[in-house]
Amino acid sequence: MTLQTAPTIEDLGEIAEQVWSSYLDPEGVNPLLPFEPGDSEKTRTRGESICASVSITGAWHGHVVVSCSALAGRHAAAALLAMEVPEVAQQDVVDALGELANIVGGNVKSTLPAVCMISLPHVISGVGVDSHWPAATQVCELVGEWLNEPVSISVWQSRSDRAEAAS
Amino acid sequence: MRVILVDDSRAMRMILRRIVGQLGFEIMEAEDGQAALEAVTNSENVPDLALIDWNMPRMNGLELVCALRDDPRTRDMTLVMVTTEGEQSQIVRALAAGAHEYVIKPFTSDSMVEKLALLGLVPNEAENAQTGA
Repeated sequence: MTLQTAPTIEDLGEIAEQVWSSYLDPEGVNPLLPFEPGDSEKTRTRGESICASVSITGAWHGHVVVSCSALAGRHAAAALLAMEVPEVAQQDVVDALGELANIVGGNVKSTLPAVCMISLPHVISGVGVDSHWPAATQVCELVGEWLNEPVSISVWQSRSDRAEAAS
Repeated sequence: MRVILVDDSRAMRMILRRIVGQLGFEIMEAEDGQAALEAVTNSENVPDLALIDWNMPRMNGLELVCALRDDPRTRDMTLVMVTTEGEQSQIVRALAAGAHEYVIKPFTSDSMVEKLALLGLVPNEAENAQTGA
């Protein structure tokens, strides 16, 4: 059975707020600043970015993606691992972004009807890596800036899932 | 008191390490359920507490809970699931398998300390220091 329920941008905003207040900005001084939908283009990363995703299967099929600039990724790793940004290695960024995708994805999964399963995180980095889900359609995206760097949290639903739900 | 932190993410282990370290625990770490099971069963001193992620490679957290409950040497350990799996059905599965408590990510330091205090694993003075009381 395929269900039409999908998370909303408000859901993503709530989840992001919890993640930032718990791990990335516990002092409340550098929150994620979401942009209005019309402003989203200016948060697109132009240079190297990092993109972490988890896949959800079961009653709903799709992906939850956390992407950001390489520098935002280093800031996230530094915050999670209690390091200074210059000390952060690429493997630290991969680990930190993977865990953020896992946490955001798990909380997105909680908004979906049971029964769904979540995969282990998958992390890639490079130029233009944030839009490579050819068999899925983006259903919502929260975009914003954190420490003046672009961050995006998006949910993608399988096209076959959407087609089945619409039929 | 000894604790083993079981999570495939080094970042999450570091977050947990900061919390339980301030509470005075002696800390072991494992990056999946299989590594945790080996570390605990090979250890002369079985940890008092395990903080266990659910989704991990090789052996997941639920399988680890079952394995620790089945072994007479480890069945008295206090087991806490620390996971993004927040659905009621998953919580029921974990508790039925033998977990004592369930913490959903993201969590704050205070909320984790509160859970551990409810399990009687936090000295009062450490709890007060954490919460500023």
